[in-house]
Amino acid sequence: MVQVTPEKLFIRIKFRKTGRLQYISHLDLVRTMNKIVVRSGLPLWYTEGFNPKPKMVFAAPLSIGTESHFEFMDLRLTERVDTDLALERLNANMTDELVCTEAYYPESPFTALRWLKYEMELVTSGASEELAGKCNEALASEKMEILKKTKSGETVVDIKPLVHSATARFEDGKIKISAILSADPSSFLNPEYVVKLLRERCNVLSSSDLTSEHYSILRTEGYFFDMTLFR
Amino acid sequence: MLAPSVYLKGLEMLEKNMSSVLKSVSKPGRYVGGEYNSVKKNKDEVKCRFAFCFPDTYEIGMSNLGVRILYDVLNREKDIWCERVYAPWTDMREKMQEYSIPLTAQESGDAMKAFDMLAFSLQYEMCYTTALGMLRLAGLKLYASEREECDPVVIAGGPCVYNPEPFAEFFDLINVGEGEEVLVEICRLYIEMKENGSYTKSAFLRRASQIEGVYIPSLYEVEYNADGTIKEYKPKYPDTPKKIRKRIIEDMDKAPYPEKLVMPYIETVHDRIVLEVYRGCIRGCRFCQAGMVYRPIREKSPEVLCKQARCLFDNTGYDEISLISLSISDYSELPRLTDSLLEWTDEKRVSLSLPSLRIDSFSEELMQKVSSVRTGGITFAPEAGTQRLRDVINKNVTEEDLLRSVNIAYRGGKSNIKLYFMNGLPTETLEDIEGIAELAKRVVGQYFRMPKEERPKGVGVTVSVSCFVPKPHTPFQWEAQDSYEMLMNKQEHLKNAITDRRIRYTYHDAKVSVIEALLARGDRRLAPVLELLTNEGVTLEAWDENFDYDKWVSALDRAGVDMSFYTTRGFGLDEVLPWDIIDIGVTKAYLRRERDKAYEGKTTPSCAEQCSGCGANKLGGKNKWCR
Ligand code: SF4
Repeated sequence: MVQVTPEKLFIRIKFRKTGRLQYISHLDLVRTMNKIVVRSGLPLWYTEGFNPKPKMVFAAPLSIGTESHFEFMDLRLTERVDTDLALERLNANMTDELVCTEAYYPESPFTALRWLKYEMELVTSGASEELAGKCNEALASEKMEILKKTKSGETVVDIKPLVHSATARFEDGKIKISAILSADPSSFLNPEYVVKLLRERCNVLSSSDLTSEHYSILRTEGYFFDMTLFR
Repeated sequence: MLAPSVYLKGLEMLEKNMSSVLKSVSKPGRYVGGEYNSVKKNKDEVKCRFAFCFPDTYEIGMSNLGVRILYDVLNREKDIWCERVYAPWTDMREKMQEYSIPLTAQESGDAMKAFDMLAFSLQYEMCYTTALGMLRLAGLKLYASEREECDPVVIAGGPCVYNPEPFAEFFDLINVGEGEEVLVEICRLYIEMKENGSYTKSAFLRRASQIEGVYIPSLYEVEYNADGTIKEYKPKYPDTPKKIRKRIIEDMDKAPYPEKLVMPYIETVHDRIVLEVYRGCIRGCRFCQAGMVYRPIREKSPEVLCKQARCLFDNTGYDEISLISLSISDYSELPRLTDSLLEWTDEKRVSLSLPSLRIDSFSEELMQKVSSVRTGGITFAPEAGTQRLRDVINKNVTEEDLLRSVNIAYRGGKSNIKLYFMNGLPTETLEDIEGIAELAKRVVGQYFRMPKEERPKGVGVTVSVSCFVPKPHTPFQWEAQDSYEMLMNKQEHLKNAITDRRIRYTYHDAKVSVIEALLARGDRRLAPVLELLTNEGVTLEAWDENFDYDKWVSALDRAGVDMSFYTTRGFGLDEVLPWDIIDIGVTKAYLRRERDKAYEGKTTPSCAEQCSGCGANKLGGKNKWCR
C-alpha cells in the first residue's frame, strides 16, 4: 500500500469510455481529460516549468476500438475535496460516453493491477455452436502463437502465459468471448491479439466486406494478484 | 448517381456496421462526432436544418473561426439547428464510395441530403474541388440548375466568394461578406415561406436576392466579347441587384461571440481559444486581399474581449488564448488588453499567443508578456528584398525596423529567425531577388555584431518564399502573374544568391500558385474544368500529396480553357472583371489610384495616420479611423 502524503495528494477517478469514444486514442483522451479537469474547477496541482499542466496518471491505456467500464485516472490535487463533489463537478463537464462512476482517495498503486477482464462480441459469418466450440479449442490450446509486428519485422509470440482464462460461447447469433488477460505493464496483452488468434485459427471475421462483419471489445473489470477486484 | 434508397441503407449501416470501417481508417475520431459542447436539438421542434460543410479535414475545419462564430449564431435561434460536416480523408472517402456510405453531419449523423441548407465555407482556392466532391458524396448533382426541388439549398460563403464566379453555377445562393446577420435572415425567409406555403426553390431565391449580401448566380446571364473578356452581367429581373454589396457587422462589441466551443476529442490545428480582436486592417498592402475586403476597421473594446475570453476559458478549459486579427499589433488598445488578460491568465496557467506580429511593432515588452513570442520561433515578413519593392507593395517597413527587431529577438535568446518573402511581385527585377539574399545576410550579420557573451547559441535564418498571386479587389488585381518558368527561374536565382550556410532557403512549387491565380481570377467558364476534376476524384488539393498539376492542365485542355488568359495576362483597366459583380465597399477608383502609386513607388499611409478615402466608410460600422 502507498502512503498518501499531503504533498502528493491524488484523487482516483474511475470512469467509462464507451460508444464513439472508443475511436479516440489514449493520447487524445489525455488531452480531453486535461480540459475536463480544468473546467471542473477542482483544486488542481500543476507541473512546474514553461508549460504547466495538471498532473494526471492513467492505468492501462486502451487502444482504439476497445470500450471500457473500468478506467482509472489519478489526479493530483492541492487540497482534499469531498469525493461526491469531485464526481459531480467532473461529470458536469463530460458527455454520456465519457462518464465518471466513482471517486475516492486511492490506497493501491496502478502497478498492483494484474489482470483485466474483457467481453468480446464477434458478428461473423458462420457463427454457430460449432464455431464457438472451435474457438474454445483454440483458446484452450497449449500454445497460443500469433504473429506480432515488431520494429524488426514479424515474430511469433506465444500469448498463452498472458491469458488467465478465455472462453467462447454462441449467443444471440454471435460468438461471445470472455477473457481475463495480463494487465501488467511489462507484459500487457492487448485483447485485439485474442481476436487475431481466432481470425487465424478459426476463420472468423474473414470477409473482405467490412460492413458485413464486425466485433466489439469491452473492458469490464480488473483484479489484483489474488483476483480480488482492483480499486 | 445512387438512388435515395441506397442512402437510407447507408444510414442504417452507419449505426450498425460502421465499426469495421472506422477501425480500418486513419484517425477514426474525425468521423464520430459527439463532442462536448456540440449542439443537439429535437428534430421535431426545428424548422430549418442547416449544415456547415467545411471542404477540408476535421482537424482544419474545427479550427476555423468563422464556422465557430456562425455555428453559435445559428444555434442561438430556437427553431434552427446548425450542424457540421467535414470532408473525409482519402482513405475514408474510398470506403464511403465502396460501401455507399453517405457523408453525414457530426451532430445528428444524418446524411447531407436530409438538410434544408448546406453552407460551404470556401477559405482558399484549392478547396473548390473538395467542396464539389462533398456534394458528390452527398448524392447531389453539382450544378444548381440540375438539382431537384427537394434537394437542400446549397450556399457558399467565406473569403473566396469575393470572386465567386468559377464556382458560382454550383451554388444556389452565395453569402457575400460577414454572415452573422444575413444567414439568420436567409433561414427566417425560408421558414416563413415554408410555413405560408409559398416556398418553391426559385421563389425563395428570388426573394433572397433582395437581402443585402446575397448573390443568386442563376439570376444573371454573363455575356462575353469576341476577345474572351466579359461584356456584361445581365440581371434577369428588374429587381435583381446590379451589384452585390458585402455585408458587415457594424458594432463588433455588440456582435454575438461564442461562449462555448465544440471541443474536439482529437488534436486539431488551432486547438485553443481564439479571440477575434478586430476586423479589417489599417495597412494597405497592395497585394493583400484580406486587407481590402475586410474594410472598414472595426475594433472590439478590451472590456468586451476580456469578458469573452474569461467566459470561453470557463467553458472550454483551454490553456492558451490566441489573439487574432490581420495585424494584431495595430490594435489600438493592445497594451490595455494584454494587461487585463494577464490579470487572471497567469494564475489559471493560461498563456497568450499572437500569431501575426509586424516588424515595426516588435518590442522587448511584447516578448515578456506574450508566451508564444517568449517560447516560440520568431517570424518576420518583409515580403520584398529591397526598399524600392517594399514601397511598391506598400509594406511600410524599413530595413532598420527589421534589423532592430532582429536585435531584440537575439538579445531575448532567439537564434532562429524566419523571414517571409514573395516573389513575382509587380515590377520585380533580379536585383530585388538578390536583395532578399542580402537582407538575410544582414540579419545574420546582426548576430555577429553582438558581443560574443550576449549571443544566443547557433544563429540560423530561414528564408521562406511564396509566389505572388494577383488577387481580386486589390490594387494588383489587374496584374499579370509571372509565368511558371519565370517564377522558377527567380527561385533558382535566389537559391544561387544565397551562399551563407546559416541561411536556409525554402520555397513552394509555383504550380500551386499558378492554379491559385487561375481560380482567384477566373470566371464562369471554369465551371466545366472543376466538374471534370471532381469527376476524376480530385479532392483535398490543399494537401501537397493530393495536388496534381498535370490533371489541371489536362482538364483545362479538354474543357478548351486557355489558362494563360487568366494567369499571365494583364487584365485591361477598363475590362469588366469577373468579380465586378461584388461590391466590397472599397471603390475601383481607389484601387486604381493605389495601383498608379505602386508604379510610381509611392507609399500610402495607414488608416490610423490618414484616411485615404478607399470608400469602405460608406458601409457604416463603428470605427475609429474612417473619415
Ligand atoms: S475609409 Fe479611410 S480610414 Fe476607412 S478604411 Fe478606407 S482608407 Fe481606411
